[in-house]
Amino acid sequence: MPGELLAIRDATKYFGGLEAVSGVTLQVADGEVLGLIGPNGAGKSTLFNLITGVYAPDRGEVRFKNRKISGCKPHQVVAAGIARTFQNIRLFANMTALENVMIGRHVRTRSELAEALLRTPGFKQEEKAIQDYARSVLDLVGLLKAGNDLVKNLAYGDQRRIEIARALATEPSLLLLDEPTAGMNPTESAEVMGLMGVIKRKGIAIIVIEHQMDVVMNISDRVAVLDYGKKICEGSPFEVQKDPKVIEAYLGA
Amino acid sequence: MKLPISKPYLMSGVLLLLLVWPFLWGGDNAYALYIACLIGIYTILCLGLNITIGYTGLLDLGFMAFYAIGAYTAAILSIHGVSFWLTLPVCVLVGGGVRYLLGLPVLKLRGDYLAIVTLAFGEIVRLVANNTVGLTNGPKGLPRVGEKISEIRLFGWSLNDTIHFYYLILAFVLLAVLVSHRLEHSRLGRAFVAIREDELAAELSGIHVARVKSVAFVISGMFGALAGAIYAHWIGFVSPEMFTFWESVFLVAMIVVGGMGNIGGVVLGVILLVGVPEILRSTLGAKFVDYRMLVFGVVMVAVIIFRPQGLIPSKRRSLELHTPEAE
Amino acid sequence: MFIQQLINGLTLGSIYALFALGYTMVYGVLLMINFAHSEIFMLGAYCGLGMLCVLPMAASGPAMFAVFAAAMFGSGAVAMLVERVAYRPLRHAPRLSPLISAIGISIFLQNLIMLTVGAQSMPYPEKFPIRQFEFWGVTLSTLQIFIFFLAVILMLLLNLFLRKTKMGKAMQATAQNHLVSQLMGINVNTIIALTFFVGGGLGGAAGVLNGLYYGSIKYNMGFFPGIKAFTAAVLGGVGNIKGAMAGGFILGILEVFAAGYLSSEYKDVIAFVVLIVVLIIKPGGLFGEQVTEKI
Repeated sequence: MPGELLAIRDATKYFGGLEAVSGVTLQVADGEVLGLIGPNGAGKSTLFNLITGVYAPDRGEVRFKNRKISGCKPHQVVAAGIARTFQNIRLFANMTALENVMIGRHVRTRSELAEALLRTPGFKQEEKAIQDYARSVLDLVGLLKAGNDLVKNLAYGDQRRIEIARALATEPSLLLLDEPTAGMNPTESAEVMGLMGVIKRKGIAIIVIEHQMDVVMNISDRVAVLDYGKKICEGSPFEVQKDPKVIEAYLGA
Repeated sequence: MKLPISKPYLMSGVLLLLLVWPFLWGGDNAYALYIACLIGIYTILCLGLNITIGYTGLLDLGFMAFYAIGAYTAAILSIHGVSFWLTLPVCVLVGGGVRYLLGLPVLKLRGDYLAIVTLAFGEIVRLVANNTVGLTNGPKGLPRVGEKISEIRLFGWSLNDTIHFYYLILAFVLLAVLVSHRLEHSRLGRAFVAIREDELAAELSGIHVARVKSVAFVISGMFGALAGAIYAHWIGFVSPEMFTFWESVFLVAMIVVGGMGNIGGVVLGVILLVGVPEILRSTLGAKFVDYRMLVFGVVMVAVIIFRPQGLIPSKRRSLELHTPEAE
Repeated sequence: MFIQQLINGLTLGSIYALFALGYTMVYGVLLMINFAHSEIFMLGAYCGLGMLCVLPMAASGPAMFAVFAAAMFGSGAVAMLVERVAYRPLRHAPRLSPLISAIGISIFLQNLIMLTVGAQSMPYPEKFPIRQFEFWGVTLSTLQIFIFFLAVILMLLLNLFLRKTKMGKAMQATAQNHLVSQLMGINVNTIIALTFFVGGGLGGAAGVLNGLYYGSIKYNMGFFPGIKAFTAAVLGGVGNIKGAMAGGFILGILEVFAAGYLSSEYKDVIAFVVLIVVLIIKPGGLFGEQVTEKI
C-alpha cells in the first residue's frame, strides 16, 4: 500500500485462556486518522499495548515504516515514531507541566552523564533546545501559562492535554490516543477535537479510541470496530454506522 | 518556603562558615571537628543513596554494602602501600562495578522486592566480610596487628590530623553536592524523576528505563564506595559490624526525614540524625544513646505519615515561560 | 546423618512456616511487606517467657496452653495495634511508604524491649523434661516432636478457620478485592485488623517455639528468622498460604543441610541467596502464577 505507515498483521494476544486480541489485521496510512471503536473489553487498549511494545503479540506482527516493531521495547517504539496517551492519565504527578513535556524530548536528545556533570556547551545548547521545544508544544495545546504548575494540581482536562503534549514532544509520525475525551464536558471535548485537527494538519497520523460517537465520526478518515478481540468491521464512518454487525455488537444482541 | 536572602548569598555564607568552622572552636577543637567529619562522610553517603531513593524512587535497604566495599578495598590496598590518590579511583570503580553487576538482575524487580533484595545483598556482603578471614581478617577487622593504613600524602604533606581530614572531606562533600545538583537539572536527572513518578509512562515516553535506572544505581554505588574509602583512611580501621542492616536503615531514615530528592533536605537529615545525637550524647551523657534508636523509630513512622515529603520537600524548579520565537 | 538433618530441618522448618504465615497473610490483603512481623515474633517469645516465669505450676498441659495463649494473644494484639497506628493511615500512600513505616516500627519495638527488659539474652526455662529417643543413630527429642506437631496443628486450625468460618471466608474475599468485598458488606478494616491479629498470633507462637528450641531469647532475635520466614513466604508465592507453609519447611531443611554439608558460617547467607535467586528467577514463587500488571 503506498504511503502505508503502520501495518498490523494477524496480531493475537492471549491472557490465560482468553483471546484479548484475536487475529487483527489493520493498516494506517501516512497522516490518516483512524477511529478505533468497540464495546468495553473489546481489546482496544490491548491493541495499543501491542503496537507500543508493552506486550509482544503471541502471533502475528506489527510493522511500522516497513520495519518490524513487534518485539521491540516500548522506548524503541517511541524512538521509531509512535507516541501514545493512556486511558487513565499517567503523568509524572510531582513534576511541572513543562518538565512532563520535556521528558518527551528525551528520545530525541542525547546528552549523557559526562555532559551533564561537565556542563559542556553542547549540553547547555541541548538543554535550551529541549526547553524551547517543550514550550512550543505546550503552547500548541494552549497550556503554556500552566508550564510551571505541578501537573497533579491541574484540572482533569488540562492533564489530558499535557499528556498529548508529552506524546507530541517525541515528534511522532503516529499518535495513539486512548479515550482522549473520557470524563470531559462538551466544551473540553470540542477543544480536544480541535487539537486533534491541528495535529492532523501537521501530518501526524492518529489512531484514536473513543466512546463518544460524534467525536469519532467527525474526526476519523476511517473507523475500525473491535468486538471480543476481533475486527468486525472497517470503513468510512458512514459505512461503519450502517453496518448491522456494529449495531449488533453495541446493542449486545 | 521563601528564604529571606537570595540563594547565592546563602550558599556563599554556608561555604564561608564551613571553611572557618575549625577555627570557631579554639579549645574543644577535636570533638567539633570529629562531628563535622562524621556529618561530612554521611552526607556523601546519603547524597549517593538519594540518587536511587530520592530521584529514581528505588528503595535500597543495603546501601552500607557499598560503603563496606569502598572501605575494605581502600584498607586492603593502602595496607599494601598503594597511594590514596590511586586507591580512591579504584574504590569508586570497584563500588560502581559491583553495583552495576548487582543491578543487572535486581533492577527489574518491583519496588518492595528490590528493597528486600538489596537488604539481602547488604547482609551477604557483611557476612562475607565476617567470614573470609584471609582477606578481611574477619570480625577483628583491618588492619591486622602490625599493619597500618598508609597516610594520605598531598603535595608532600602528610594528612594525619583531623583538621586535614576535615578539609579533605569538605572538598568531597562539595563535589558530591555539585554532582547531585548538576545531575538533578539534566536530561538524565529528569529521567530519574520520571521513573520514580511512573515507570511505565516513562518507558512509553521514550526513556530507556532499564538503562537509566542502572546509571542511577551505579552512580549512587560510587558515592557509597567513595565515602567508605575516605572513612577507612580517616579512622584507620574497618570491621564488619560497621556495616549492619540497621546502619543502612539509618541512612534511609536520614533521607526520609530530611526530604527525599532534595539536596538541602538530605543534608538537614544527616545533621539531625548524625550531628544532633552526637552533640546530645556529649552533653546528656551516654544514657541518651540508648533512647536514640527508640526515638528514630517513632520519628520515621511519624514523618512518613504526617510529612511524607520530609522536612525540606523537593521542589521542582520553575523555568522560563516566554513563548518561543515564532518559527 | 541424612535422617538426622532432615529431622532438624523439619523442626526448624515448622517454626519458619508458622512465622511465614503472618508475612503472606498480610501481603495477601494489603500487598505490603510487614517488616515489623519479625518483632511480633520476638514479642511473642517475650510474652511466653513472662507467662512461663509467672506460672507456679510445673510442666503441664494447661500451663503450656497458658504460655501459648499469652504469646499469641499478646503478639496478635500488638500486630493489630501496629496496623492501626502505622499502616492504616498509609493505605493509599505510595507503595514504599508502609514499608518505611514498618521499618520504623521494627526499630521502635526492638529498642523498646532492649530498654525495658534488657539487652542481654534471657534463658528460656525448661519447664517440662525433654526426653531423647535414639534409633538408627538418630536423635529425636520430645521437644522436636512437640514443636513439629504444635506447628502443624496451628496450621490446620488456620486452614479450617479460613475455609469454614464466615470471618475466614471474608478474609480470603478481601485478599481478592477490597472494593468488591466492601460492596458485599464486608467491613474491610475489621478484616484487615483480624488478619494482623491472626498472622501476628501465629508469629507469636513461632516465637515461643523458637525460644524453646534454642533455649534463649534476645531483643533482636527476630531479624534473621524474619528474613528466613519472609524468604519462605516468597518461595511459596507471597500471598499463598499453603505455599508459605511449604516454603517454611523447604527453607528449614535447606538451611540445616547447608549448615551440615557446606559450612555453618554461611548458613545465614544461604537464606539470603535463596531469597535473591527466587525473587529474580521466579518472583511468583514456586507455586504461584505470574501476574501481569493491568494498564
